[in-house]
Amino acid sequence: MSGIRQLFSGRWSFPGVRIPVGERAGLSSTAGFLALVVALFACAPLAAQAGSTVPNAVPPEGTYSGKDVPQPIEFPHDIHAKINGINCMYCHTYARRSKVAGIPPTSKCMGCHSVIATDKPRIKQLTEYWEKREPPHWLKVHDLPDFVHFTHEKHIKRFVFDNPELPVEQVSEVCAFCHGDIKDMTVAKKQKPLTMGFCRSCHEANNGPFDCWKCHK
Amino acid sequence: MSLENILTDWSRYRKGLEQGGFHDYEHMWGMVIDLDKCTGCGACVVACYAENNLAVVGKDRFADGHAMHWLRIERYWDEPDLGEGRVAEYQHHGASFLPMHCQQCNAATCEPVCPVAATYHTPDGLNAQVYNRCIGSRYCSNNCPYRLRYFNFFSYYESSWPAPLHMQLNPDLTVRDKGVMEKCTFCVQRIRAAKDKAQMEDRKLTDGEFQPACVQTCPTSAMTFGDILDLHNPGKGVENTRAAALWRKHEVELGKTRQTKQDPDLRGYRIFEGLNTDPKVLFLERVREV
Repeated sequence: MSGIRQLFSGRWSFPGVRIPVGERAGLSSTAGFLALVVALFACAPLAAQAGSTVPNAVPPEGTYSGKDVPQPIEFPHDIHAKINGINCMYCHTYARRSKVAGIPPTSKCMGCHSVIATDKPRIKQLTEYWEKREPPHWLKVHDLPDFVHFTHEKHIKRFVFDNPELPVEQVSEVCAFCHGDIKDMTVAKKQKPLTMGFCRSCHEANNGPFDCWKCHK
Repeated sequence: MSLENILTDWSRYRKGLEQGGFHDYEHMWGMVIDLDKCTGCGACVVACYAENNLAVVGKDRFADGHAMHWLRIERYWDEPDLGEGRVAEYQHHGASFLPMHCQQCNAATCEPVCPVAATYHTPDGLNAQVYNRCIGSRYCSNNCPYRLRYFNFFSYYESSWPAPLHMQLNPDLTVRDKGVMEKCTFCVQRIRAAKDKAQMEDRKLTDGEFQPACVQTCPTSAMTFGDILDLHNPGKGVENTRAAALWRKHEVELGKTRQTKQDPDLRGYRIFEGLNTDPKVLFLERVREV
């Protein structure tokens, strides 16, 4: 199995070949779907890699212990991202294309959950929202002050797409830089301080931009 | 730019015009305003208010000089004397208009006086104002010869956008609270968005990809915006922008306190360039019928 994984890793980082961003990351493509299937069955190697660090990157320094966030549905990140190995960017699809990572629409949940685990109480709750045609009012966990403008797409580009040694399947390790081990949580909690010093530690170590007007404007 | 960086690079950032100024530019955004084309309609002012979340302060505070217009149109009269016995609020003829916004000086007088380095020069050649760093000492405003910095004496946002008007606020930049200085940024949020887009596509930013709101709105195209880096070395690889072409055409050079042009038909001038501020906004003089 790990052989197949390596094959895939090789495909993403094939030297000299530029693959369009959407195709490389998109799980909607056939290759992406295959990657999902592989990821589903490759829990063991994934778990072994959990402690590994991202190549060509120094993560920011700092920890924080955030409060529990009472979400309308207790969304289990661990079941989705860890046990089933679904790529973060499958649901948070805007992370690679825009400033915000995006909360998936209920239709995306229903894409799987109209057939999977329909008897579970949380899914019943979800189906209720879906039938009422009403979005669950998710609460924001990682909030920045209004004078800070963080861009997801550029960070994903720098650490994932411009980083040939990191296969796209392991994007969650990059997400974990700022979001902590979401994979091990049920409802997401804030684990990193997200202060300016925290950002700075990473920008300094990775030669990020240092212009005030990059983030504050 | 952390504190350590500021301390390390202090001399680099604080270099005067005589020492050659700050030179590590990636871009140098500049502007040309043709006063012959300007009709004084004020569309640019409205555009600026809409784009940059400028507070509407009301008549009384306006009279107190608290207006937050980053871009203002100044009026001048050719014949200030209306003649004997003629009393009028304004004249019917002879008005000329001067749109004034931050001149983004290369040797800005506001920068060295800031006690907390909230205003500094960016590698884009912009004169930046970092709101969350500003402590409201107002030194910069007092040291600006153009009087183009505006101070939030009150929390204007509380009354400026009563619901549902707050929905029109631009999310790409901060809504400033009281105690903070602000000024024209050449619509830095647009510059950054265009630059981010170019970086995502692994290419360089090209001329005309974005415009500040005032330039975009001007109905007579009196304003031209562009990169004027390497103004004097057009072959150096930086795009030969329309703005740079106008600067060259009117023989106005950066880094000078006095221009040496001989041809009286060349209309270009910079405001207060004798003060050694090296402004990056070029005005083209109005041609009058005499």
